[in-house]
Amino acid sequence: MHIPDGYLSPITVVSTYLVATPLWIYGFKRLKKILDEETMPLIGALSALSFIIMMFNIPIPGGTSGHAVGVALIAILFNPWIGFVSVSLVLLIQSIIFGDGGISALGANALGMAGVGAFSGYYTFKLLKKRKFAPFIAGWVSAVASSLFIAIILGIQPFWSEGGKPLYFPFDLATTIPALVGSHILFFGVVEGILTQLIYSYIKEKK
Amino acid sequence: MNKKLYIILTILFALTPLGLLSSYSAWGEWDNEVYQKLIGFIPKGIENASSIQPLIPDYGEGSVVMYYLSALIGGGLIFGIFYLLSRSKR
Repeated sequence: MHIPDGYLSPITVVSTYLVATPLWIYGFKRLKKILDEETMPLIGALSALSFIIMMFNIPIPGGTSGHAVGVALIAILFNPWIGFVSVSLVLLIQSIIFGDGGISALGANALGMAGVGAFSGYYTFKLLKKRKFAPFIAGWVSAVASSLFIAIILGIQPFWSEGGKPLYFPFDLATTIPALVGSHILFFGVVEGILTQLIYSYIKEKK
Repeated sequence: MNKKLYIILTILFALTPLGLLSSYSAWGEWDNEVYQKLIGFIPKGIENASSIQPLIPDYGEGSVVMYYLSALIGGGLIFGIFYLLSRSKR
C-alpha cells in the first residue's frame, strides 16, 4: 500500500499534503500532551512494532504480496490521533531511510494507512467494545478501509493523461479497488485482525 | 503491559527474515519494466520520478543481515524519536 514517488499527479500530491499537514500538527499536539515516562515506552514500542510488522511481506495467490500495519492496535490502546501520528512517523522513516513509499506520496500514504486506518479501527472497536472479537474486527476494518482510500487515490490518477496515455499511475478504479480492497478483505485484513486481537488480548490479559 | 510488549517486539524482531520469503512485489509497487509489459509503456511521471537516494534501499534488497539491521535501525530510530520527544517536554 506504500505509494512510491511518481505515481501521483502534482495536484494529488499537494492536496493530500494540504489535508494531512493540519492533522499532523493537531495530532502531534495530542501526542505531546500524553507523552510522559509512563506512556513513552509504550507508544515508542508500539510504533517500532508497527515498523517491524510492515516488514513481514505476505505472499498471496495472484503474484502479489502485502502486510499488516498495526495502526488499529495503537488507536484502540490509546486513541486514533496517537495512532495517526505514530504511524505517520513510521511511514516517514520508511520513505526516507528505506525508500519504501514516496516522499511526495507521504501525505496520501499517511492519510490512508495511518489516518483512515486509525480512525476506522478505533470507532469499530468502540462500537463493539463488549464483544470478545472487537480487536479482530477493528483490525480487519482498519486494513480494508485504508486499502479503499489508497485504491481511490491511485484509481483517479489516469485522469491526468497526455495523448490518451496516463502520466501517472495508469490503472483506474475498476482495477485498483478489486485488486487492493479485495486482497485486504480476504488476506491482509485478516492478518491485521489476528495480530490486533492476539497482541491486544495478550497485553490486556490479567495475570 | 510494557514487559509483554517488549517480549512481542523481540519475538517479531527475531522473525523478521520471514518477511523476505515473498518474492512478489506489493500490488502497484512494481519495477518500471512491469508497466512496459502490462500496458506497453511507462507512464511519464513514473519514468521521470525524482526521489532521494534512500540510506538502505528496499531494506537491504534481500540480504538477511541487512534485513535485521534495517529492523534495528528503523525500530530504534522510531523509538528514539519518541524518547527525545518525551524528554524535550521538560
